[in-house]
Amino acid sequence: MMINPEIQDDSLSIYIHIPFCQTKCPYCDFNTYSGIESLIPDYVKAINSEIHYWGDSLNDLSVRTIFFGGGTPSYLPEGHLESILNQVYKFFQIESAPEITIECNPNDIDTDKLTYLRKTGINRLSFGVQSLDDNLLTILGRRHSSEDALTAFAKAREAGFNNISLDFMYGLPRQTLTQWEDTLNQAIEINPDHLSLYCLTLEPGTPMKKSIDSANIPSPDQDLAADMYTTANKILENTVYDQYEISNWSKPGLNSLHNLTYWRNKQYIGMGPGGHSYVHKTRFNNINSPRQYIKRLNHIDPNKNYNKRLPSQTINTMPTVENIEYIESKLEMSETIMLGLRLSEGISEESFNHRFGLSIHEVFKESIAEAIDLGLMINENGTLKLTDKGNLFSNEVFLKFF
Amino acid sequence: MKTDHIRNFSIIAHIDHGKSTLADRLLEITGTVSSRDMTEQIMDQMELERERGITIKGKAVKMSYNKQGSRFQLNLIDTPGHVDFGYEVSRALAACEGAILVVDATQGIQAQTLANVYLAMEHDMTIIPVVNKIDLQVAQPARVSLELQQAFGFTDEEIIFVSAKDGSGIEDLLAAIIERIPPPKTEYNELRALVFDSNYDPYKGVVAYVRLFDGHIEKGSQMLMMATGSKADILEVGNFLPRPTQTSVLAAGEVGYIATGLKNVRECRVGDTLTLTNNPSTKPLPGYQPLKPMVFAGLYPSDGDEYLVLRTALEKLQLNDAALVYEPETSAALGFGFRCGFLGLLHMEIVQERLEREYGLNLLITAPSVRYSVTKTDGEEIEVDSPAKLPPTHLITEMKEPILSLNIVVPAKFIGAVMDIVTAKRGEFVRMEYLQNNTLDESVPDSSESRVLLEYRAPLSEILMDFYDQLKSRTHGYASMDYSIFGYKAAPLVKLDILVNNQPVDALSLIVHKEKSLQQGKTLVERLKNLIPRQMFEVPVQAAIGNRVISRETIRALRKNVLAKCYGGDITRKRKLLEKQAEGKKRMKRVGNVEIPQEAFLAILQLDR
Repeated sequence: MMINPEIQDDSLSIYIHIPFCQTKCPYCDFNTYSGIESLIPDYVKAINSEIHYWGDSLNDLSVRTIFFGGGTPSYLPEGHLESILNQVYKFFQIESAPEITIECNPNDIDTDKLTYLRKTGINRLSFGVQSLDDNLLTILGRRHSSEDALTAFAKAREAGFNNISLDFMYGLPRQTLTQWEDTLNQAIEINPDHLSLYCLTLEPGTPMKKSIDSANIPSPDQDLAADMYTTANKILENTVYDQYEISNWSKPGLNSLHNLTYWRNKQYIGMGPGGHSYVHKTRFNNINSPRQYIKRLNHIDPNKNYNKRLPSQTINTMPTVENIEYIESKLEMSETIMLGLRLSEGISEESFNHRFGLSIHEVFKESIAEAIDLGLMINENGTLKLTDKGNLFSNEVFLKFF
Repeated sequence: MKTDHIRNFSIIAHIDHGKSTLADRLLEITGTVSSRDMTEQIMDQMELERERGITIKGKAVKMSYNKQGSRFQLNLIDTPGHVDFGYEVSRALAACEGAILVVDATQGIQAQTLANVYLAMEHDMTIIPVVNKIDLQVAQPARVSLELQQAFGFTDEEIIFVSAKDGSGIEDLLAAIIERIPPPKTEYNELRALVFDSNYDPYKGVVAYVRLFDGHIEKGSQMLMMATGSKADILEVGNFLPRPTQTSVLAAGEVGYIATGLKNVRECRVGDTLTLTNNPSTKPLPGYQPLKPMVFAGLYPSDGDEYLVLRTALEKLQLNDAALVYEPETSAALGFGFRCGFLGLLHMEIVQERLEREYGLNLLITAPSVRYSVTKTDGEEIEVDSPAKLPPTHLITEMKEPILSLNIVVPAKFIGAVMDIVTAKRGEFVRMEYLQNNTLDESVPDSSESRVLLEYRAPLSEILMDFYDQLKSRTHGYASMDYSIFGYKAAPLVKLDILVNNQPVDALSLIVHKEKSLQQGKTLVERLKNLIPRQMFEVPVQAAIGNRVISRETIRALRKNVLAKCYGGDITRKRKLLEKQAEGKKRMKRVGNVEIPQEAFLAILQLDR
């Protein structure tokens, strides 16, 4: 495998997957489990081994962001997060003032826990609020109420967190436009720093999909969901929040740096079962099963140094890794566009040229012309961006680049 | 071998009455195929034939059987079982002296049984009636035997009872074949061989399946096709045992194959007589009626780039399927493709499946049409097999459509149901005949259980679509049907056009009866509304006759098309979803700026449901 140092920059994002939940939400198809809490201590040991392994072998990269996702990372008992973070600091090069985010469930949080989280160095919280309507929260199978969410947010502020994101969902069964507007307005009122607004996707095999298929709950109206998205745009237009990605808004300077790594198609290592990685132009993922993950990481020797290897060997010999795919240049271009067009900054001719040594207007001449023709994309002084309509039909645009 | 030790025969049967199983059992009992090598229904070699459980192309196999110290050569020429392939039955029969008529002991005489028996009688053949599946609990051999006696005048003693499945009665049948079927007769010394089928082999060229009536032939002889005048040096002669096996000579009375080395099946037409260049016969055998395709449809590659692949595939397929005809056609909606003629809908489906399966093509097939006869105002009479080729209304004096003679066999209690369906399909009643005289049959307590033959005349275009499915469903599967072309008849027909987003889609046009046009236009438009996915803009769908819009629906604009959030950096999953969507788009056809899925082009097939 050849690595062109000019096109890969040397920063890295770390994702750490915590596959534990007290209860599993009916719409969720993530790699997460309830009832396997007894695995937690072994799991933390395993993840520390994985950190050791990648820290050694990726020591040419420096870490800019760390993200604890799940599952429910806030569900981990105290002490474990600290141990994981210490291990990261021990084995990776960390840039100054990294962004460290943890996803939280509003009712796992109390003042003590928040103080503890602060102390570990975590500086960004992402609350999975999903809705501020209690009926909808019940449909979503969430353990918290809207009041729990508001309280948790207030306590987080008290504890000194000044970068807090709230996740909300629209396009829910039985959700009305008014309910959605109310939720958004209430959210703006409490003044979070960042908002992620996602349309519910009914994933095959989830209990919610089954309930809808068997007509126990009504199927969400996708036209209404489009209205909700448009409404959210309008509501947020005259606020302090800037839309910087199709589904994300933030106060100036408080974008999610971690997610920007994905959208800018840069390098990240995803640790924990089911974690996805993209380093050295290679995509791969860990096996999903937490038990298998723990078992296979027993092979990592804590006293060994794993740094004197070629990147391809590093990936191939990691016992938890599967689905290794080398991303050749043409595919990397397509992926860069698919991800980059999600951002309001778009894709500039210059950055594309810098990364690939080719003109985006030459490589994708027809695709660009078609998308612009349909009013889905504009060329703003050499930078390609989706229009408002393009945001609603982003798929139609992305498809043209594959 | 002397011709008096040769017996040539076919097996004729209604579909599913056990023809192929019986053939298998004959092969096994005569030791032609050891039971160890016996794969079920060995005569059906094509993968597609196996899957569908039907015989598409006839085959021939040579068996040896010892009877009272003498060795007999038994040549079985297999016949296809589906009505679409009726012509193949006729071809096979012309090569034989006798036919085994197989009737299912649980079902009795069916429409194809009648058709096949009449065909065999036309050929003046010896018919051996066989009641099959007597091992089944629900079998009614006595009743079916009675039916055979009454319908065709067989005697009780003539009828043989077998179970092809467990082998009982097969020895009796073999004895009957030898005793009753006359040996081949020869008249001349010059070679006369009837080509009853052919296929194309990349190494041996066209391989003719032949029945020798006179003379003999061996490898190296120079052959002459009497109708086409083609000449060739024979590369190989042989028999089917059942695999093609080379032999030194084929003699009068025998059935076998001749590898001609010819590159084109048209040079060695089925039905032609093969003779020798240096000692030619002057009297060709009676041939066959040339095949006339009855159903026409446009075949288009989903991906326009595959046009040449499709052309090559059709060329190759035609080498083995003389019934398939095609010519290039261009559609504004679908691009470059071919207008193909088929024997019937099943034939069409099979061709489509073979093209997709054997050549990896992704095909779009337009609504099937029949061939109309159109008299223009200038007196010229033209044939029109595609709505696109229909002249403008003001230039047409008269249109005629092909009419079928339709035979349906059904339990009497379903007469009403059949009448309903046929009337809705513009059919006319001709006659009705009870297959069984109940007064003679005390074993049948309820007269409604007796079965009737109903004969109708009906337009082919109406029968084509979903008549058979309706017939089967309304009669709980009891009805069977057979048809043949009766003639042409004038009818008030109009061209129904479909406009999607105000653009006519030529591939969706139909020729329909005037009285049905309104209803069909409405149904089609409604159906298309549900089949065409919502686009980024509103799309009107209209049905029109000439300039007059008779029906309209609107497909509302799609509001969004986005992918779910990408979680935890799983970009691959997202990309795969996109790739899948892109693949789906590939299977659609763009008409103007509207993407129309394949299913929309098939909507017309189910117009009457």
